[in-house]
Order: sequence, then C-alpha cells, then structure tokens
Amino acid sequence: MVANLLIYGLVNSVVLMLTALGFSLTFGLSGVANFAHGGLYLLAGFLAWIFINSFGLPAALGMILAVIVVGILGALIYRFILMPVRGIVLSEVISTFAVGVAILEFFRWKGFVTYDFSLPVLVQGSVKISGVSIDYQRLLIIAIGLALALLLWFFTHHTRIGLALRGMSQDEYTALSVGIESDWAGMLSLALGAGLAGVAAVVILPLGIISINMGYDVLLIALAVTVLGGLESTTGLVVGSFFVGYAMVITSTYLGPQWGEVVYLGAIVLVLAVKPSGLFGKSKELEERV
Amino acid sequence: MLKVKNLMVFFENALAVNDLSLEVNEGEVIGVFGSNSAGKTTLLNTIAGLTRHLKYREQRKGGMRITINGEIKYAGEEISRLKPSDRVARGIVLCRERHPVLRDNTVEENLKLGGYLRKDGEIRQSISSVYELFPALQKLKARKAGMLSGGEKEMVAIGMAMIAKPKLLLMDEPLLGLSPAMQHEVVRGVKEICRLGVTILISEQYARPIMPVIDRGYVIENGTMVVSGTGAELMENPEVKSAYFGA
Repeated sequence: MVANLLIYGLVNSVVLMLTALGFSLTFGLSGVANFAHGGLYLLAGFLAWIFINSFGLPAALGMILAVIVVGILGALIYRFILMPVRGIVLSEVISTFAVGVAILEFFRWKGFVTYDFSLPVLVQGSVKISGVSIDYQRLLIIAIGLALALLLWFFTHHTRIGLALRGMSQDEYTALSVGIESDWAGMLSLALGAGLAGVAAVVILPLGIISINMGYDVLLIALAVTVLGGLESTTGLVVGSFFVGYAMVITSTYLGPQWGEVVYLGAIVLVLAVKPSGLFGKSKELEERV
Repeated sequence: MLKVKNLMVFFENALAVNDLSLEVNEGEVIGVFGSNSAGKTTLLNTIAGLTRHLKYREQRKGGMRITINGEIKYAGEEISRLKPSDRVARGIVLCRERHPVLRDNTVEENLKLGGYLRKDGEIRQSISSVYELFPALQKLKARKAGMLSGGEKEMVAIGMAMIAKPKLLLMDEPLLGLSPAMQHEVVRGVKEICRLGVTILISEQYARPIMPVIDRGYVIENGTMVVSGTGAELMENPEVKSAYFGA
C-alpha cells in the first residue's frame, strides 16, 4: 500500500509538474500568464493524433511535429495577440484565455468529442517495482519530466539566451540597455512555454483518451501548482507539484477519487489566503532590508 | 563622435527635453548637470534608444503619447530611428540610474549578460578586466546581485556596461545614493574607464565629486540648456556654483 502510494504519487506529481512546466516557464520569463495553456496542450494532442492517424506518420515523428507546430503557434500568439496589449495584465489574460477557449471549442465543433481519440504509447509493457506494477509509459513520463526540469534549469542559468530571457523578466530596461530585444524575448518565451505544453500533452495523453474538457483542467492544474509554489519560482513549481501530486493521491486513496480534484482547487484558495506570494515566492522583504 | 541637435522630447504635452544640442568628442568625459526632473535621464535614455522603445510600446497599447524630434548623430550616422540593440551594437551603452542590476542573478551572471551581443571568449576576457577595475566584485561574484549594497550594485552595473564594450558610455547619475567612500571608488572607476579610451557622457545632480574627471559640462534646467563650458568655467559661474556645486 505504501509502495503503491509512493510510486503513483511520484507519477502523479511529475504529471502535474510537466503539465504546469510550460505555463510556469512563460510566466517566469515574460510575466505573461498564458491562459491558452490548456488549449495549446489539447491542440498538441489532437494534432499528434491527426498526424499519426490521418497522415500516417510514425508515432514519434507525429508527436515531435505536433510539439513544433504548437511551439510556433505560441510565438504567433505573442506576435499577433499579445504584442498590442503587452503590459496590460488583464488584457493579456483575457486575450490568451480567448485563444485557449477558441481552440478547445473549435475541436468540439469539429466533432472531436467521441472516445476514438487516443495517442499510442511510445513503449509497451510494464515492470514490477517492489511489488507495484507500473507501465513503461509512466516511467517514461517520470524520466522526461525530471530531464526537462533539469534541462530548463540549465538553459535559464547557463546559456546566453536563457540568461537573456531571465534578464528581460527581471528588468526590461536593463536588458534593453545591453542589447536584448524585448519582443524577441517575449516571442521566445511564449514559444518555449507552448512547446512544453505540447511535450506534456504527447507524453501524458497516451495514458487515456483525449477529451476536450481536459484542456480546462490542465489550465486549472497549471494555475494551482504554480500559485502554490510561487509564480516565477522553479523550485516552487517542483515542490508545488509534489505537494499537490501526493495530496491528490493520498486523498483519493483514503477518501475516494472524487476528492482528488478538490485538493488542487482547495490548495489555490488556501495559499492565496495564507501566503499570496506562494511557498517559494520571491523574498522581496529580505532584500529591501539589506 | 556624438552630435545631438535641437532634440525635443514630449511626454504627452509635457516637454522633458527642450531644443537641446550638445556635442561629445572622442575621448572626452562630458558632464550633464541638472536638478531632479531637469531632463537628464530622458536625454540619456533618448540617446540610448529607450525612449523610442517606450514610445512604440505606449503607442501600441494606446497609452501615453511620446514625441521625439531632432537629430542624434553618432559617428556621422543618424541613429534616432535605431532600436536600442542596434545602438548597443554600435558601441553606445547606457548604465541606467539607481544601479539597476538583475537582483535574482549572481554578480557573475549579471556581468555575463552585459556581453549579450559579444562572443564567449571576449566576454570571459572582459569579465576579468572588470574584476581588475573593481577588485571588490571578484569576491562577490557568486552573490545574488539583489543582496549587494548600493555601491556594489553600481559597480556591477558599470561592469555590465563595460562588458558590452562601449565606445560611448552613458552614465546616468552613477553616484546617486552612494556613501562618500563608494563615490570615490566609482569616480576612480570612471577615470580608469576614460583611460581605456572610452568616451563618457555622465549625468549628475551634484557635480562636485565628479568634477575632477570632467573635460566639459552642460547644465540643464527644465529640459533646456542654460550653461555650458569647461569644468573650470562652470565652477566659476556663480549661479551654477550655488546650484550644483554646493558652494
């Protein structure tokens, strides 16, 4: 029982982290809360399905292609929708949310509502770990999730472009003064975030069928995890995901599956009431004292 | 090297810079003196291209209307339509006021970012020359920049600008809010930078500490140039003396 909780808690936590990674990255790097996140996630899923089933592409290729297309769409969303309203937070939220809803409802209108839509798993089979059997796809999710988190940390701390994006997110005018272009940085951070939503979709969606309402859930999960951990904080994202991930598994095991979703919605409310900057929110107070 | 001619900058209908002309020759250290809201920052931001950036940002979202008129010529080229990044690439680098550093990044990451437009090898070399310029930074290189004192932040900010390899370095109130000891250290840095052959345009409210390194100076009030001359000439002007030198 405990081994089961630990392993599936880990899977659930990494799934949550992967789901929120793109949202958190975009927010951290450009300050845009991309409310189209859920729409982009589902778009990647359906695109991969179309590439594989209608165009007959090999599964892996179809998935990679879907991620790339969604990444490019992210850049386009910045260029044509966000650029004119840049800096007006409410407009950014409303316009990206509108894009997300438009994507989701487009697929509903086109009839993507049956139970026929699912992505193939990339690796078949399963293995037993201390008495708990787990399939390779879930192990793959854990591996990809952790690898991506490390990769992104490296990217934002040790590469020129990553440092430039972080610089732009902290102080636009200082970044401009050393020659970084703000719209380029914005486009890149939206593209990266959208691409990550795509990666999350193509590795997580093979676990079940693709349904449109998932798009809305994905956005809520991304919000819950990032709000809990503290927006803009990578450590916060990881801790937030593990906190919510284990809490969901524990409550649904002991109280029943219907309580799983209450946990993350409850977490948003609780964190906002008690510590609005999140568990790992930036420690402004300390710096101001120095 | 830099020729500003009849520059006017409006924020809506408020005139921030009024028909201002100035000239900076290669190798000079030029001071721009004036009180709060005299237009010093707007002048430097306009030369660096930040005002133009803000103008388009505001224009896109239908915000404040900013108008920039006049000529800014750098090395014979009209630069007023260039993006900030293109101006940095040409060697015009601004070190903004209130020592703006990236507070979540370490000192070394801040310095690295200064060389955003340069090659990795050059950046490494420049970083070690910044540590020679301000030895205090060497020990602080792994420290988060947000945790530094004002003077240390200013050194990081100047270091970032130096790593961008300026030909014309614009320094906006580098001494603002610093202790006398730190002011002394920064002035020493400015002298050293000048010795490296960098042309400097420096703005200050209170001119005395920076005076020894200035070749010529301009005094501006309400966006308009009131007096200009060599350091000694400015010091002798009684009005200027009482207003900006604390006689």
